[in-house]
Amino acid sequence: MSLTVNTTINGQAVSASAEASTSLLEFLRDTLEMKGSKLCCNTGECGACTVIYNGKPINSCVTMAADANGAEIITIEGLADGDKLHPVQQAFIDTGAVQCGYCTPGYIISVKALLDRTTKPTAEDIEEAVSGNICRCTGYNKIVDAIHLAADRIAGRA
Amino acid sequence: MAKAELKIIGSSPARMGGVDRVVGRGVYGIDLMLKDQLHGAILRSQYAHAKIVSIDTSEARKIPGVHAVVTAEDAPNVRYGRSYIDRHILARGKVRFMGDPVAAVAAESPAIARQALKKIKVVYEPLPVVIDPEEAIKADAPTLHDDMPLPKTIPADAGLKNICGHTVVHIGDAEKAMAEADLVVDEVYETKMIHPQYLEPRIAAAQMEPNGRLTVWANAQAPFPVRQEVAKTLGLPLNNVRVISAGLGGGFGGKGSGITSGAAVEPICGLLALKAKRPVMIVLDKAEETISTTIRSAAKMYIKTGVKKDGTIVARTGKVFYDAGGYSGFGVQAGGRCTNMLGGWYLMPNCHIEGYTVYTNKQVCGPVRGPGGPQAAFAVESHMDSIAAKLGMDPTEFRLKNIPKAGDKIVGVPKLRDVSLGETIRIAKEKIGWGKVKLEKNQGMGIATGSWIESAGPGGGSIIKVNEDGSVTVHIGKIDMGTVPGFGIPMIVAEELGIPVSDVTVVNVDTDASPWDAGTVGSRGILVSGGASRLAAIDARTQLFKMAARKLEASPDDLEIVDKQIRVKGTPAKSVPLATVATDAHNVIGEVIGRGYCDNLELMAEEKAHGSSQPFTTHACIVEVSPDTGNVKILKYVAVHDIGQPIHLAAVEGQIEGAAAMSIGQALCEQVVFDKNGRTLNPSFVDYLMPTINMMPRIETTLVHGYPGSGPYGAKGAGEIACVPPMACIANAIFNATGVRINKLPLSPENVLRGLKEAGKA
Repeated sequence: MSLTVNTTINGQAVSASAEASTSLLEFLRDTLEMKGSKLCCNTGECGACTVIYNGKPINSCVTMAADANGAEIITIEGLADGDKLHPVQQAFIDTGAVQCGYCTPGYIISVKALLDRTTKPTAEDIEEAVSGNICRCTGYNKIVDAIHLAADRIAGRA
Repeated sequence: MAKAELKIIGSSPARMGGVDRVVGRGVYGIDLMLKDQLHGAILRSQYAHAKIVSIDTSEARKIPGVHAVVTAEDAPNVRYGRSYIDRHILARGKVRFMGDPVAAVAAESPAIARQALKKIKVVYEPLPVVIDPEEAIKADAPTLHDDMPLPKTIPADAGLKNICGHTVVHIGDAEKAMAEADLVVDEVYETKMIHPQYLEPRIAAAQMEPNGRLTVWANAQAPFPVRQEVAKTLGLPLNNVRVISAGLGGGFGGKGSGITSGAAVEPICGLLALKAKRPVMIVLDKAEETISTTIRSAAKMYIKTGVKKDGTIVARTGKVFYDAGGYSGFGVQAGGRCTNMLGGWYLMPNCHIEGYTVYTNKQVCGPVRGPGGPQAAFAVESHMDSIAAKLGMDPTEFRLKNIPKAGDKIVGVPKLRDVSLGETIRIAKEKIGWGKVKLEKNQGMGIATGSWIESAGPGGGSIIKVNEDGSVTVHIGKIDMGTVPGFGIPMIVAEELGIPVSDVTVVNVDTDASPWDAGTVGSRGILVSGGASRLAAIDARTQLFKMAARKLEASPDDLEIVDKQIRVKGTPAKSVPLATVATDAHNVIGEVIGRGYCDNLELMAEEKAHGSSQPFTTHACIVEVSPDTGNVKILKYVAVHDIGQPIHLAAVEGQIEGAAAMSIGQALCEQVVFDKNGRTLNPSFVDYLMPTINMMPRIETTLVHGYPGSGPYGAKGAGEIACVPPMACIANAIFNATGVRINKLPLSPENVLRGLKEAGKA
C-alpha cells in the first residue's frame, strides 16, 4: 500500500508517495535522494540517522515516513546557509572531530538541537544530548571539543 | 628538509573533504545509486556446521522482479584465501559458520530480494559444531576442512587437527632458565571476539560495461586485493576488472583483507551483475554484518614467566590458541603476531611460545586494528602486574627494570634503533600522579605499556600531477576512512611544493588509475603513501625548478617555492608564479608529473643496519569499582605515545583516542556472544554494547618527541598502537582497587562481581 507524505523538509514543502512500511530515513535517502542522513544500525541505537522532527532530535530509521505528514523536519542538508556553514558544522571541522565522518551528520543534528536549547551545556547536558550517537573513530574527545567551541561561538564567547 | 624549516607538518589544518562530510553530501559507498540498479541480497547459513544436501532456487526465480539467483554452481569452482586457500565465494557442499554465504539474488527492490531469499530451499545435514579452539584441535573434534593440510611444522602423528597456523618463538633455553628462576608465575588469559562495528555497512556495487569489463564499487580498505580476488573468483582477466573505492565510513581493519573482509560481497555482487545483465548493489544489514564479516578474534593465552628476586626476567614460556573461525582469513598472520607479542617487548633472554591458529565454526578473523596485539597485551601486561605484585615490587619499577635500550633485541625484533618505552612509562606516571594521587575507597590505579610493528611490508607509490593553476592532484593507492589521504598527504605535498593544503586534492582509489597498494592497513598509510608522496612532490619540484631556472636565468639549485611563487633564494623579487611554470609545461613536457615510491627493500635494509624504530606507548588510568554492582568507572585516562614526528597533529591524536576507545570498549563491554551451536546471540546494535560518550573518559594524550621513525620527516604509524594497552591497563587498575585479578574479558559488571565474590570481596 502506498501513501502520500506531505511534509516540510528544511523549510521546503515536500509531497511524495511512499510505501506504508517506509521509514523516514528510507523516505529521505531513497525516495528524495537526500543522502546526508546515514543508515547504520536501523534499530534506533547509533544516531547516524538523526534528524530534527518538530524541534526535537529523533532517529529517522525507527520513525515511519507517514509520521512526517504535517511535520517540520530539519536534516543535515538544511543547516548551512549557502556556503556559510552552521557554527556546529564549522566547529566539527575546526577541532578535527570529523574522522571518517559517517556519524557526523547525525552528531551535528543532535548537537544543534542541544545548542538551540542552551549555549552553556554542562557535561551532563552533553552526555544526555549525544549518548545516543555512537562514534567509532574519535573516542569522543574532539567531538566534545567541537560542542564547546560551537557553543562558545554561538554565544559570542569565541 | 630540517625540522626547524617545516611550515605545515605538525599542525592541524582542516581535513580534505571536511565540508562535504558536515553538510551531508553523499561521499560514502552506501550513497551510491547506479542507473537501473537492482538490489542484491545474500542468503546465509542458518547452521554453524552442515553439509549442503541440495539447494532449490526454482521458486525464488519465479517471483516477478527477480532477475538473478546464484549459488556456488554459478561461479567458477575456484577458492580464495590468504594463507590457506580454503574458501569459495558461495558455500560449496558445506557451510562452516552461521552467516556463511550460500546463495544470492538480485531483484527490483530490497523487499522483493528479501522475499526471494525466503523462497530458496536449502536442505542441510547438520554436523557437530566446535566453537572453542582448544577443543577444535583435539583428534575427536569435528573436521572443518577435509582437504586442508596441517602446517608443515606440526607432525602428522601429533593427533591434532583443524590447525591452519602454527608459530613457534624460540630463544635461548627457557626450560633451564625457568628452573633457575627465583619466582615463576603461571597464568591464563582470555579475550573474546569483538566486531569492529565501523558505522557504514559494507556495500558492493557492480556493473558490466558494454566492452565486457566489470566495474566494482567497494567500500573496502584494500581495492587492489579486491580487484585481484574478484578477477580470480569470477574467472575474469585481471584487466577486465576495475575497482573504484567508494568513500569509507570507518573500517578499522574490518574492511581491510581483500574480499575476505566482506565475506566476498564484491564477487557475489559481480556474479549477480553478470547473470542479471543489470547493475547490482548490495548493502549489508548491520546485524547481518555482525555475523558474517571479519572480526577481532578471541585468543586464549597461557603465559609463564620466571624472574629473579631483583625483578630481572629470565624466561617466558607460553601457548596461544587463536580463533581463525570457519576459514583461515587473516588468522594465520594475526595469530602469529599474537604469539610473538606474548613474548613481550621487554628484554627476554629465554623464551619458548607456541601459537596455534585454529578453525572453529565461527565467523572469520580479519586484520582488525592491531591484529593479535591487543589480545597479547592483555595477557602480557596483566601478567607483568601479577609478577610485580608477587615480587612486592612497584609495577612501574618492575617494567623499567626490564626495558630494552637501543641496539637490544626483543622477541620478533632483532635490533631496536632507539627505545622510547622507558620515557613513556615515566611520563605516564607523572601524568596520572603515580604514587602521589590519594585514591578513595574502591579506587585503583593501573598502568600498561605496548608496542607495535614498524616498516617491513608491501611498498607503494604516489603520482602527483601539477595543474596549470599550480594546484595539484595526488594519486595513491590508499583510501580515506579518516586516515592519511584526507589529513597527512595534502600536508606533505603542500609542505614540499610551497602551496596551501587546500590546493591539494587526493583522488579516491581507482584501480585503473591509482598506483598499486596493499591497502590502508597495518598503520602503514603515512609510511607508504606519506613517504611516496613526499618523494613524488620533490620529484615534481625538481621538474618545476628545471623549467623555472631557464626563465629566471638561475641555477635550479638556487630556487625555492614560497606561497606558490618559485623564486631565487635571497632574491625574492626574482620570481615566477608556480602556475606560470606549470602552464608553460604544456609546451615542454606536457605536464609536471612527480613520482615517488616507498621502497620496502630500502626500509628493510635500513632497519637491518640501524635497527627498528618501532613505536612504544604507556597508558595509565584510575578506576572506581562498585563492590555492589561490579561496575567499573574510569575516572582518569592518560595515553602517552611515541609516534615519531606527527604529521597532522589532530589526526594523530584522533587515531590514538579512537584506537584506545575501541580497546576500552573491548575491556569493559564488547563481545560477540555465541551459544554452543555457534549462533550469535547479540548481532544487532540493541545487544552489542559499544562505548558511548557517557562511558568514555577523556583520553589525555601526550606525544613523546625525539624518537624519529622511518616514515616521512620521522613519522611513525599511529592507527593501531593505542589499541594495545587499554585492556590490561584497566584490569590492572581493577586489581589495584580490589586485589582481584580478572583474567577473562570483558571486565563487565557481571564478570567483575563474580571475581569479587569468588575472592570473598563482595
